[in-house]
Amino acid sequence: MRQLKDGIFSLNGRELALLAACALAIIVFSVASPYFGTPGNAATILRNSVELLLIGLGMTLLLAMGGIDVSVGIVMGLAAIGVGRALGANTDPVLTALAGPIIGALLGFVTAAVVVLGRIPAIVGTLGLLGIYRTAIFILLGGQWLSGLPTGLTVLLGTSLLGVPIAAFVIVLAYIAVWVALRRTPFGLHLLAIGNSEEKARLSGIPVIKVRFATFIISGALAGLAATFYVASYRNVEMTIGSTLALDAIAAVVLGGTSILGGKCSLVGTVLGVLLLRILQNGLLLMGVPSLWQPVVTGGLLIGVLSVEVLSARLPMSQLGWARR
Amino acid sequence: MNAPFLIAKGVTKRFGALTALSEVDLEIRSGEVLALLGDNGAGKSTFIKVLAGAHSPSDGELLIDGVPVTFSSPKDAASAGIATIFQELALSENLSISENVFLGRELKRSVLGVPFLRRKEMKERVAGLLKELEAHISDPEAPVGSLSGGQRQAVAICRALNLNAKLVIMDEPTAALAVAETRKVLSLTRRLAERGCAVVLISHNIADVFEVADRIIVFRRGRKVAEKIRSDTNPEEIVSYITGAHPDVRALEKAN
Repeated sequence: MRQLKDGIFSLNGRELALLAACALAIIVFSVASPYFGTPGNAATILRNSVELLLIGLGMTLLLAMGGIDVSVGIVMGLAAIGVGRALGANTDPVLTALAGPIIGALLGFVTAAVVVLGRIPAIVGTLGLLGIYRTAIFILLGGQWLSGLPTGLTVLLGTSLLGVPIAAFVIVLAYIAVWVALRRTPFGLHLLAIGNSEEKARLSGIPVIKVRFATFIISGALAGLAATFYVASYRNVEMTIGSTLALDAIAAVVLGGTSILGGKCSLVGTVLGVLLLRILQNGLLLMGVPSLWQPVVTGGLLIGVLSVEVLSARLPMSQLGWARR
Repeated sequence: MNAPFLIAKGVTKRFGALTALSEVDLEIRSGEVLALLGDNGAGKSTFIKVLAGAHSPSDGELLIDGVPVTFSSPKDAASAGIATIFQELALSENLSISENVFLGRELKRSVLGVPFLRRKEMKERVAGLLKELEAHISDPEAPVGSLSGGQRQAVAICRALNLNAKLVIMDEPTAALAVAETRKVLSLTRRLAERGCAVVLISHNIADVFEVADRIIVFRRGRKVAEKIRSDTNPEEIVSYITGAHPDVRALEKAN
């Protein structure tokens, strides 16, 4: 069976279905709540999607490689403390912005060292790091929020370039960079080969350790970039920062058609998965469902999607859709 | 016949007290299909692992083009031009044929330091190889997961050719294949030799061996017990060597 072109924004059946689900959710919520369909609320949804999208791109690469990182949200929190402190000390805004991805990349390196060199299953290794980092956030913040930070970063990312804020450029650039790495470089092939079978990848002469390190570092850097955006918009860092982001990211990425078992992924799917998740969360909130229930919805969605995939995997290969790797 | 590509002299492999291979001498020539036969545990797997660099011999030496070589890893053997096609083919089912053929050795061009894949060239090279091998696979962009067992063997052979292998070791290539597929893989094996490759074929199927091999070597209990030109022997004789019923083997085993 032929595969479809893996164009930078092309859609397959799964992604069209997601798009339809987004449209349906928008229609239902617009009818149910007078506040949902306003331009202001649309901006809020997009605004709330930024961190999840950046982290989701990294999670897509990790899952495609047969890896996972349940500590990404907390990595974003740690990077946010660095960015927040730099911002509070009135450091140069560009340096402040770069602090996020740099701290994130360093933490990604640590994750890789634990998981790859320690030969610990990624889900267990990153769960251990999650526990450690959570306490690190508490100690670093000394039990107090960073709040009332200056506006330097907000101004920088809001600055208009050709009529578009720099923030939008950075996000689109991050997407394109990840897409190029995945679909147009040897790194992407190696990552997908490892996701299919690490042993076969090794027999094929792929530098497995190097590729796994690079992927964790990229994912960390993206979580750090998310921290920069977080601090720029909210100008505070709270104790519970990022605590539901890993769950949200895994749900959005799996929803988008990336295989939890590795070897197959969709970046467009991740974008749509992020939007659908954020639309649902926003809409339910506007309908009066307490935000306490959001992780229930996300977790239920994740389990639901995986269950359907497990059931459909019993169908013959030809019906599984080889459309996208 | 050409000069031997590889010569094994007195190759011995011991695992503790067990001698898996005992003083094996043989020559592998370019353009020739050499079949290694033997019962389970006869030593043929150990021997090809020595050739592939997965085991280092306890004794004896290997010469390539007359020069002694030592392999400390499969990578060493690969860079000496030895490719092994494993029974469980090391192909990535989620990648396309051309991606698999080039995996780990992609063609790329650097743009601002980013190594972009040269997809079109890789695709054309693979299309050419597939055509040359008469593999009857039309689309190098098809995912390997959609191919049959025989077609996957063809992809693995393309991969070996693309790595400029001078010696291709095929471990039971037809073990899991249907009849028509087996025919195809055997003709691929023949074509590989016609291209000037040395081919070592491991098989349990004597009919297959008699169809493609130029020379047949029989292993028994870690020793080489027979070496025959195909036209000088017949399946019955080879079976008697394998089982140890042949008088020569009896005499040899009595002497030890």
